[in-house]
Amino acid sequence: MIEARGAALLYHDHGREVYACRDIGLRVSEGEFLGILGPSGSGKSSLLYMLSGLKTPTSGQVLVDGIDLASLGDEARSRLRLERFGFVFQHPHLLGYLTALENVVLGASGSGDRLVEAENRLSRLGLGDKMHRLPHELSGGERQRVCVARALMGSPEAIFADEPTAALDHANGHAVVDMLRQERGGGALVMVTHDPSMLDGADRIVTLVDGCLGEAAVAARPGIEPGTC
Amino acid sequence: MATRESRRRLATSKQTRSLARPLVASTFLFRNAGKTIPLVAVIVLAVMLISGIVAMIDSIPLSIRTIYRYSQQMVGITPRGDPAQTPIIRDRIEKEAPVPLERVMVCRATGAQVRSIVGKWPFVVLGLAREDMTYYLDRMGSRGINGRLPETGKAEALISEPVARNLGLRKGSLLLGPVQDGAYSPEEVRVVGIADTDEWLMFTPIEYQRAHHFPPIDVLLVFAENLPDQAKLDNWAVKAFKGERAQVFVYQELERDTQDMFKILYKILNVVIATLVLVITLMMAMLMNIYQSQRLPEYGLLQALGYTRRQLLSRAFGETLVVVVGGWVLGLLVAYSLLLVVRAQLMTPQAFALDPLDRMAFIYTIPIPVAILAAGALTVWSRFRRFDPVSVVERRLV
Repeated sequence: MIEARGAALLYHDHGREVYACRDIGLRVSEGEFLGILGPSGSGKSSLLYMLSGLKTPTSGQVLVDGIDLASLGDEARSRLRLERFGFVFQHPHLLGYLTALENVVLGASGSGDRLVEAENRLSRLGLGDKMHRLPHELSGGERQRVCVARALMGSPEAIFADEPTAALDHANGHAVVDMLRQERGGGALVMVTHDPSMLDGADRIVTLVDGCLGEAAVAARPGIEPGTC
Repeated sequence: MATRESRRRLATSKQTRSLARPLVASTFLFRNAGKTIPLVAVIVLAVMLISGIVAMIDSIPLSIRTIYRYSQQMVGITPRGDPAQTPIIRDRIEKEAPVPLERVMVCRATGAQVRSIVGKWPFVVLGLAREDMTYYLDRMGSRGINGRLPETGKAEALISEPVARNLGLRKGSLLLGPVQDGAYSPEEVRVVGIADTDEWLMFTPIEYQRAHHFPPIDVLLVFAENLPDQAKLDNWAVKAFKGERAQVFVYQELERDTQDMFKILYKILNVVIATLVLVITLMMAMLMNIYQSQRLPEYGLLQALGYTRRQLLSRAFGETLVVVVGGWVLGLLVAYSLLLVVRAQLMTPQAFALDPLDRMAFIYTIPIPVAILAAGALTVWSRFRRFDPVSVVERRLV
């Protein structure tokens, strides 16, 4: 479904060329829970942004259903993200002047009864009684749950979660990951984290070190696959 | 009961609509009143200021046109250098006038003054024969007289209602007199009647002016039979007596002189208004830039979620449009209300002219929304040009 072929992301830092990630060969299958594990600064988030179309690889390709994302215009890539993908970011980004319910509604595009779905999503995530509250009236864990509900809107084909538990305590972090796993339906879940305990139940885990899918972690844990750096 | 239920349903459906479309402009603008109100208030004040200034300046030529509007009804002709020319001129007019004439009046004229917001202006006090007084009042649309007509040969005057208001005169008040600055007469001429008409007029008996006023020149007032023909008659008189021993007074000349007189003033006004619009636009652009900067996390998040640049641009532009057009319309309404109050409290009691619905004042405010909208659009566009949503979701920008 989503495939990276020799994808690399190069940026310039004070005239110096730095690879956020390079020569990535990776495939995300339908319904798969893929964990991307790596230390801070290893390029996990950059890889996630490339896979989700938020960043365009400077070399190589990212294909979605065989279509190179780089060949799509900004508008088509945006539409792809809104209609087929869901996102949970490291920080619970919500619009401060919208209620929890309204923030969740933003997660899906125009047609269909978004409101009913948003209400259902929030209720299933235990926020049925707080859906009309503004973000500042919610706790950090609740805000991240709202973000999860937003990501689940429209039953996306893939959910990209970038360290969704980083700003939460351990218990809340696990709760959020469990919700993502359980509520995603048939959609794939690609989750980036530096905490291996958050990837319990992942179908596959790859590691990233210095921008490369590395073999070092293979030995560290069964089921963790090396990449092709 | 049914009404309450239908109201409840309507409210629920409205709420549902707004919940289902949280990105509509009104949601942000109403829920961020602390930001919206200052923006709207600046526009309202700017529109109020500009339309107020223009309307007040426009009130000067409007006053000129209002005060001297009576001259639209006639052409005035005085002999030059030789008082004996009057019957000759009259004879020529009666023979050669290109339109049917209703009346040619022989009268005298002396001067008084009326007040305006920029000082005192001269105004003619006609000396009319008794039989011409009634005709003149009819022609000026008089609906009646509070008092009576001046008696033949007596030191008495009739004025119209706006003149009475302007000079604070009532029946028995002194209009002309030996110690009246700018309204001299050797005897005290008192008001005996106030005509109920919107036109400005003052007259005394012709015999009184012939006996007491200088110069001893009979003036001709020529009235076309049909008012629409008056302009044609005026134009003819101006051409026919050019270079002759006669001076012609027509309304069009007054209009032309007024326009010439105010041309420079309006040029200065254009510069002032342009500067004001520039200052306001810069201020608004700065405010909008600050507000847009504060909203970058919002734009970044929405773009990351999959809202297109075009959607976000049109949303930001829509919000700007609502603020600018709302502020402009509100500003016009407030300006109109204030001008109504100014007119009622300050202008009308002294018969000063002011048009709260001044078209020019309205037109002068148009650059405000246009310039602010352009500045707002430019600000938003420049913000979006090289905007990377990842910088927001990674919290590098916030």
